[in-house]
Amino acid sequence: MSSALSRRRFLGGSMALAAGAAVGPFLAACGGGSDGPVTEIDALLITGGDRYPAYWEKVTSAFTQQTGITVKYDLLQFTPLTSKEITLAAARSTQYDVYSTHTAQIGAFFPHFEPLNNYFDQADLADFFPVAIQYMTNPASGELAAIPRNMDARTQYYRRDLYEAAGVQPATTWEELVSVGQRLTSGGQFGLVLPGQGDPAQRQFADFLWQAGGEWLDQNNNVTFNSPAGVEALTFYRDLIQQYRVTPSDVVTYQWNENSAGFTNGTCAAVFDWPGAYASFGDPSLSTVSDKYATAPMPSHKTGTSCAISHGLAINKYSRKKDAAAQFLKFTVTPEALVDQYAEFKNYPSRRSTAEQVTSQAQGMEHQWLADLRTTIDNGKEWPKVPGFDKVSTVVQTAVQNALSDQMSPQAALDAAAAESTRILQQAGALR
Amino acid sequence: MATSQMSRPRAPVAGRSRTTPKWLTGYTLAAPAILLMLVIFLYPLGQSFVMSFFRWDLNSAESPFLGLSNYTDLFTGTSFGQTLRNQVIFTVASLVIEVVGGMAIAVLLSSKLRGLRPARTLLLIPPMVAPAVVGLNFRWLFNEQYGLIDAVLVRLGLPAIPWLSDPGWALVSVIIASAWQNTPLLVLLFLAGLQAIPREPLEAAAVDGASAWRTFWSIVLPLMRPVVVIALMIRIIDLFRTFDVVWLMTQGGPGNASNLLTVEAYKLAFQSVDFGHAAAVSYVALVLSLLVLALLYGIPRLTARRSAAWQA
Repeated sequence: MSSALSRRRFLGGSMALAAGAAVGPFLAACGGGSDGPVTEIDALLITGGDRYPAYWEKVTSAFTQQTGITVKYDLLQFTPLTSKEITLAAARSTQYDVYSTHTAQIGAFFPHFEPLNNYFDQADLADFFPVAIQYMTNPASGELAAIPRNMDARTQYYRRDLYEAAGVQPATTWEELVSVGQRLTSGGQFGLVLPGQGDPAQRQFADFLWQAGGEWLDQNNNVTFNSPAGVEALTFYRDLIQQYRVTPSDVVTYQWNENSAGFTNGTCAAVFDWPGAYASFGDPSLSTVSDKYATAPMPSHKTGTSCAISHGLAINKYSRKKDAAAQFLKFTVTPEALVDQYAEFKNYPSRRSTAEQVTSQAQGMEHQWLADLRTTIDNGKEWPKVPGFDKVSTVVQTAVQNALSDQMSPQAALDAAAAESTRILQQAGALR
Repeated sequence: MATSQMSRPRAPVAGRSRTTPKWLTGYTLAAPAILLMLVIFLYPLGQSFVMSFFRWDLNSAESPFLGLSNYTDLFTGTSFGQTLRNQVIFTVASLVIEVVGGMAIAVLLSSKLRGLRPARTLLLIPPMVAPAVVGLNFRWLFNEQYGLIDAVLVRLGLPAIPWLSDPGWALVSVIIASAWQNTPLLVLLFLAGLQAIPREPLEAAAVDGASAWRTFWSIVLPLMRPVVVIALMIRIIDLFRTFDVVWLMTQGGPGNASNLLTVEAYKLAFQSVDFGHAAAVSYVALVLSLLVLALLYGIPRLTARRSAAWQA
């Protein structure tokens, strides 16, 4: 009797639990859209070093002090952050109200980020770098998907001591990049380091493509990266590694971290790196060349174009606390916040007025570096934000590696990638 | 006597009708577990299968039905053929190294040689290390500029090998790392199998003057067949799921030189943001591994049946 009873109880309990688990989320969803004042938002934010947790803690605490809204946040590095956001967006998750994002990956997220045009007035947006606003805007709808937090553009960092000893100047052209690199390459020392894997390889190819006068797509979104300019760019990229041998032979396995490490460990005499590197290269605990480096503009070829992209923050379209999330976004891009971010990480401000302010206050090498960055950003570009281009990027990354590792000629690699990219863009409805 | 039997009270019929059938009780008790399994195992499996027939990305609100397009796209694309070839090479090479090496080490450890007891304990370490850690360690060991392995080769007067940057060596490097981690698992399995072999046939072979190799080939190996089959099955399932080691060492590169099916699925899902094609790749991997397992399971049974029929 007692056994039968306990069975029934067990089954009853199990069914109640199952029913609770099934109905709970719906009840929570129904009750979630409360009309009361929002006291807490959730954010998925980017980290990239020891100082980021303290920085975000400072920003979110100041925001709470000012607004009374607590920000609960999780920190992830760039790649896992993107993977997690893809999963959350696919699931239409309401877990986070605010996402960190970046120009490079924003194309996939346009339908999943709340348009910000109603939260920022045009006069305020006009202060941001146009290139940042342009590539964070959905070209199909004209809606701003994220607010730029800091600009990402690359600079040539070089070893002042080695260059002086060899009697050479930083390269200003592709030809000089080869000749200077060869002068500084000998006995385990290399003249240059480049990334050669994944998204960083595509980024490097993009710079060479634009500098050779090429483009990714034409006005109708037809693939053009396999044009003669594209082939010239990829051939030059490959030859730096395989023919001129001015880089370590295994750069085809390097991403950003290995690229920076090649410079900070003293093996390579020059590197193209992001603004954040200015601070880390000068930190003796992170760099063996902290007092030996200087900066110069990126070399040019037919054009001097390089990438100008940005980190930003966006509001989850499925968030039920959009107004509070928008307040947080505005708080993180005030001129004061951008100055603070520059002081902390040397992150180049996304507002033109703030960039001018920090540049005018800087002196010597730092002033010159900021001025060079400004030139790069004003002339900068980003790859297209059309449907399907994320997949095209993966195809191009493989093609670039195939050419860099001499598995295919640059022409053959780019032609194969172009054929597949055309099919991808057709399927995505991007071809006009 | 008969009367007294007739007058004995009978078990109430109504009571029997109230008793729940055993099978129903069983299923009811198992229902919560079955339900949980359906939710966490079968639903995602079914959902991803359905996904493989649709366009499923983040760019559009709608997910149109594509039929077999996601599958045909894979086979007409530029990279999938190479990925499939890599998967076959990786699986076959890993199995050969791990089974042959594992058996050799197991035979050595089961011998009475002194000083081998600590080796059994040490063998537990590689399978206990997280694959991600193995991937990172081997990425550094195989590094051309600072790696230990090339440093040793150069010290020995041999040329340095471009382990991770050369298309020919990249897949070899990944196979070595995977074998380093997983061979000890097979050693332990084979060791258990060797210890369970009856002594009589071995003693008979010794009396007949059979050589060690002949004894191993004609007695030990046939008796070990069930263990070897189980080991092969476990490893085939694992090899078709291998991701961490490859991702951390080469990301499937250079180009597609060391790309495997799981890496391709990850790239499609999380770099290309194309879940439809990613699901299709996953199902190709699942079908292939099931096919290999079916062959592995079916061929010995078929052979045994034919042999029995022939003997009859």
